[in-house]
Amino acid sequence: MTKAKTLVSSIAFACLLSTGLTTVAVAAECSGTIKVLAQPRDGLTLLEDYKSEFEKLSGGASFEIDYLNENDRRAKTKADASTIGKYNVYYIDEANVALFASAGWVAPLMDYYPADYDYADFDPGRQKVATYDGKVWFAPVTGGGDLMVYRKDLLEAAGIAPPKTLDEYVAAVKKLNQPDQGIYGTALRGQRGSGANVWRWMPFFKGFGGNWFDGKTPVFDGEQAVKATETYLELFKYSAPGSQTGGWDEAVGAFTSGQVAMLIESTPLVGMAIDPKSSKVAGKVGYLPPPAPLTGGGYGHGLAIGMKANKDEASKACAGLFVAWATSKENEARRLEAGQFSELNRTSIMTSPKFAELYGPDLGQALADTGKVTAVNFWQSPQWPDLGDRWGIILEELITGTRSDIKEGLDELDGFAKDLVARSQ
Amino acid sequence: MSQKNSLPAVFLTPAMGILAVLALVPTAYAIYISFQNRELSRPDGSLVGFANYIDLFSDRRFINAIGVSLTWEAVTVGMTLLIAVGLGILLFECVSPRTRNLLALLFLVPVILPRVSAAFVWKFAFHPLYGIATYPYKAITGQPLDLLSNPATALATVALVDVWQWGLFFAVIVLKLLETLPPQPFEAAKLDHARTWEIYAFIALPMLKAPLISLAFVKMIESLRAFDLIYVMTRGGPGIATETLDMYAFSQGFIESGRISYASSMAVLMMIATSIAFTFIWKRVQ
Repeated sequence: MTKAKTLVSSIAFACLLSTGLTTVAVAAECSGTIKVLAQPRDGLTLLEDYKSEFEKLSGGASFEIDYLNENDRRAKTKADASTIGKYNVYYIDEANVALFASAGWVAPLMDYYPADYDYADFDPGRQKVATYDGKVWFAPVTGGGDLMVYRKDLLEAAGIAPPKTLDEYVAAVKKLNQPDQGIYGTALRGQRGSGANVWRWMPFFKGFGGNWFDGKTPVFDGEQAVKATETYLELFKYSAPGSQTGGWDEAVGAFTSGQVAMLIESTPLVGMAIDPKSSKVAGKVGYLPPPAPLTGGGYGHGLAIGMKANKDEASKACAGLFVAWATSKENEARRLEAGQFSELNRTSIMTSPKFAELYGPDLGQALADTGKVTAVNFWQSPQWPDLGDRWGIILEELITGTRSDIKEGLDELDGFAKDLVARSQ
Repeated sequence: MSQKNSLPAVFLTPAMGILAVLALVPTAYAIYISFQNRELSRPDGSLVGFANYIDLFSDRRFINAIGVSLTWEAVTVGMTLLIAVGLGILLFECVSPRTRNLLALLFLVPVILPRVSAAFVWKFAFHPLYGIATYPYKAITGQPLDLLSNPATALATVALVDVWQWGLFFAVIVLKLLETLPPQPFEAAKLDHARTWEIYAFIALPMLKAPLISLAFVKMIESLRAFDLIYVMTRGGPGIATETLDMYAFSQGFIESGRISYASSMAVLMMIATSIAFTFIWKRVQ
């Protein structure tokens, strides 16, 4: 084992796990550096200020986090976990948890997660996406569903009530689109990828009643997918420039810079939109659950224990301790204090008086309401990234005009899905 | 005498040995796994013969990637040399030696910038809403200009950044080459009333034929490694409009499928194609 990933755990730590003693009171004895591969998160950056706390808790181990943006992080974790296994802890997400779990690249989390850290306190939706094949694989660092976020001032000026249905939403987007005044009706994601354009398209697909597979037979190539794509392409006519090949950053950037009237995005957008430090439209923002029949895109990102770098049980236990500490109530309370809305995952924190004091009762209510329509929109399979990314390319071609026949694109995806299923057997 | 003759071998053997290990082992391994059906999530693959190679030729993304790669090579190599020669001559003709040195220093800056940094800077510069490069168009027409989202302009826009980095650098090299040429042929041509363009077309450039061919080869090899620029600026999009062969191989290997055998078969074909093409061009040039 290399110096960097040398993790020596003591019997005392094993006792700690088995007896469930208070983790703060009894220090485990890990050593070396726990290497973490993650994507940039304010909550993880904040953790680095408390390295000494973890060192004390673990009995001497430190940690080092390497950051890569989402797409690069996905590629690098896959490459590392399947080859050399340099990292003790991986940041994984709902889209690839099935792949990581079925390939044996990560360990079942609950086998090494100290009970005192109360995993059950995490938001039930996030627990659901962290679970595959009946086992929990990661502890959430971010997650949630979707919210429709809108500019109250623009809607009021146009005499439009916040839309409750998709038809109302489409009509409002068209009416609010005023490019000559630098305001665009909406901002979507056009960039290819299962976590990019496909992610935003799926609420339409599932909302119209679409399904990916029936057993091992693809069934997505139907009228629901065609209608979803037509609606998505229709809305793209009113989407901010740059979003045609942009992802989350471009859509959110266009909204927070005041150039978009309304959009449906993942819940962390609200935290950014109402924060004057990151938004020009703070104070003018309203939020509601997505208009019916759209489903919210349930998602969750979190920390998982790598199998290759943690060769023995003691190393896995140390990595488990790090994951538990990093996602603990104490650290979430620090994130709340630091205004990191998108990094909050625990029910106890989101229902705390401090949360209500900081964000008001409206946001809490909106989150509770959107939870009712939040769903797992993607195909929960190790092959999902492959299928989702392929549809992402076809969808981007449709958005940018390289192709125009929706049915032909879906037929191509259908053939690809059949090959994919055959290859996996 | 025999001691004298063995000295080069003594010095060369370790270096060649290391080179052989570093170059041949991965190459041999890539060829080996290209005949398997290995995937990252299933490392226990089996031999499938030429199945991956056969599949490639019915894969529309692969066919598209060949076209994009060839276009990329032709555009970036051609434009870089054109800019380099044009700008080099312009500097040599119109600018004083002192100013030339100052400009040469400035022209070196783009190529010193790390490729990824340059790609991010230009990606932001081309942003339709906030980009400085698209601002004049927006100010004049009132319409945003989204060059990187348009399949017709995306590849040319990325190529522009490549040419900006390498064209200016090569212009400095051409300038310095022109400065090293003997003045007599130029003076003789002027006495014969040759026009300026004739002097360069028929005297200077033929005299620089060998170094210019070397520059072309350097750029051809460099253009094959444009992965980082394209990855940052377009990720192969919109759709697959800027997806080169290396980009597609990486996507298949690590981003989308984890099909490392399939990706390796692409890499092997690329290796064979480039080896043949470069050997052919090299022999033609000689």
